Amino acid sequence: MAATAEEITSRIAKAPFEFKSATHLLRIEAERSSTLGELLRDLNTCPDASIFQHTFRTLQEHHFIKEGFSNDFAHWAYTECGAVGLGERLAAIDVREFTAIADLRARLETVVEDYLQLNPQSRDHLAEHPFYFCSAESVVTPTEIKATNMAEFVQGLRAVSIHSIHYHFIEARLRRHLETNDFSIWLKRDLGMNEAAVRLNKIDIYTATLEGVRRQIARILEGAVS
Amino acid sequence: MTEERGASSSQSTPDQETRASTMAPDSVQAPATRPRERRAPRISETPPPPAPPPALQDYAPIIGKSQLNELYFLATAVRGKTVKMVNSTAVGGGVAEMLNRLVPLLSELEVHTKWDVITGGNDFFEVTKSFHNALHGGDYMLTQAARDVFLRHNELNRERMSFDEDIVVIHDPQPAGLIASKKDHRAHWVWRCHIDLSNPNPQVWEFLQPFIAQYDAAIFSSQAFARRLPIPQYLFYPCIDPLSEKNKDLEESYVQQVCDNFGVDRSRPIVTQISRFDRLKDPLGVIQAYKMAKKYVDFQLVLAGGGASDDPEGVAVLKEVREVIDDDPDVIILDLPPWSALEINALQRASTLVVQKSLREGFGLTVTEALWKGKPTIGSAVGGIPTQIIDRITGVLVHSVEGCAYQIRYLLTHPEFAQQLGRNGREHVKENFLMTTNVRRWLLLFRILFGLTASPSSSLG
Repeated sequence: MAATAEEITSRIAKAPFEFKSATHLLRIEAERSSTLGELLRDLNTCPDASIFQHTFRTLQEHHFIKEGFSNDFAHWAYTECGAVGLGERLAAIDVREFTAIADLRARLETVVEDYLQLNPQSRDHLAEHPFYFCSAESVVTPTEIKATNMAEFVQGLRAVSIHSIHYHFIEARLRRHLETNDFSIWLKRDLGMNEAAVRLNKIDIYTATLEGVRRQIARILEGAVS
Repeated sequence: MTEERGASSSQSTPDQETRASTMAPDSVQAPATRPRERRAPRISETPPPPAPPPALQDYAPIIGKSQLNELYFLATAVRGKTVKMVNSTAVGGGVAEMLNRLVPLLSELEVHTKWDVITGGNDFFEVTKSFHNALHGGDYMLTQAARDVFLRHNELNRERMSFDEDIVVIHDPQPAGLIASKKDHRAHWVWRCHIDLSNPNPQVWEFLQPFIAQYDAAIFSSQAFARRLPIPQYLFYPCIDPLSEKNKDLEESYVQQVCDNFGVDRSRPIVTQISRFDRLKDPLGVIQAYKMAKKYVDFQLVLAGGGASDDPEGVAVLKEVREVIDDDPDVIILDLPPWSALEINALQRASTLVVQKSLREGFGLTVTEALWKGKPTIGSAVGGIPTQIIDRITGVLVHSVEGCAYQIRYLLTHPEFAQQLGRNGREHVKENFLMTTNVRRWLLLFRILFGLTASPSSSLG
């Protein structure tokens, strides 16, 4: 039988949720692509941290945007190469489907390769500006905000920086190698909020700003006990 | 030395306020809604005393407590370490302006930071000025005499200075030769390049490259400026200080007062370009765009900046600008002294749209300033402007006078879209181009140099 709102509100978590964040420094890598053919080559050889930077991390850097392309490769293909179809296909890649950088890299390569097979004339077409590969060097930072029940969790969720939301809600799957996020895992495991945990995972991060995502999470949790 | 100089950093003289006040001839029939007479702008004839630098806590209302705490946390691992910053000038220019704010903030975090300035004769600074222009892609024949001057003065400075700190940061090419002291000290050495190296003169770069290759890391302001080097290269965007006179929040009454003084009518749309009177900023192109757009929408154009007193070309450009506006009362030209930061701030805040129609640009900090003030901004797709303006998301990029004119018309007639651009632009600056973001970058770099961070490539799997 499902727990009542009162039961959920009064539950004390088995272990507190400790809000953390991550901060990053951008390193400029050697790879720079001037054509789509070169992009394919460099996608194959660039460091894992570059794939992370241009897909996951760019969502944090541009957390205030809810329209346009969702990763740097898609944006470059569209704006600098004029490859609209490729831009759309790259933009359709949802980073939340990936729990390992290797798989995400392989998907990116496949999409570019397929496009170039269908559009061989695009392979050596010079882009307006090159794509410069960067990578992120990261430090995980504590926030001193902890939650032992749902009310504290929602309070903490509202207080932490947007970087913390990115760290727990988006980056988490690479750390955990699971198609979920830190919030859902804790809510399910420590507070027994299974349904809310599932609903959180369905939030569309590509059509909302990260502030919007934060609000949606709070709404779902508050809805679960109202 | 840096390519980035704000509108107020050029030299000019106090008598320019008279010129600014005589822009609108009394004979021109002004629309009923705007002041008939432009009053004398009240700008001090001498620079005001510098304001004390802000403390870290002063930034809390801007970046939030959580991000401020992040800085304190990052600093814990490098607390007590010592840093020396070295550049070539104590006053004037973007680098000195930035160091003036950065050094006290790092010291407040107990990363004890000193700032030292190299000395040199006219011969040295003539050579380094030539290097600067050549590294920007200009023609230059590097002679043995120039090499000798560069090396001799670096050697003299090396003998004069001590390098006992944990980290030494050398800014720009002038002091790059100080790296010869690395072998005698335990410090980590970092080269911070503020200039555009995307197309350097090969002779000058080949001369400097062996020095740079000895550093432990290099920092560039854009990915495009990075070179092939055997050392790690990092990206630090130029930044603005949200608490500086040019960017801090202003009382509405002050903004109104400045507009009244300059004869700017706030009841009608205002489109502004802040920049030196320099051909590369294309003020004539902006006026052309104004004339094209004005056929469809009513607005005033404000061109404000300095640099026309010490620069013969600036004088010529200003003269041409005044000729082409042909006594149009809706074009307001303001040639301001270098200490007009508050007035520039007020003009940007009063603007409906901000334009930066440069033909070439370094990073374009005037764009950063406009975006920070939440202003819908139209910028040329040159230099660092596309890094700041993501087209149709944080502003609008243009490639021509016609494009600029169209976007002025469009944004003036679509205020909701324009406001959304402004909101996004401010967030983009908050995330990437504020002084506090750069403090965070420095702390991260220091941690990396001491081996205190993990790359996601090793941890993400």
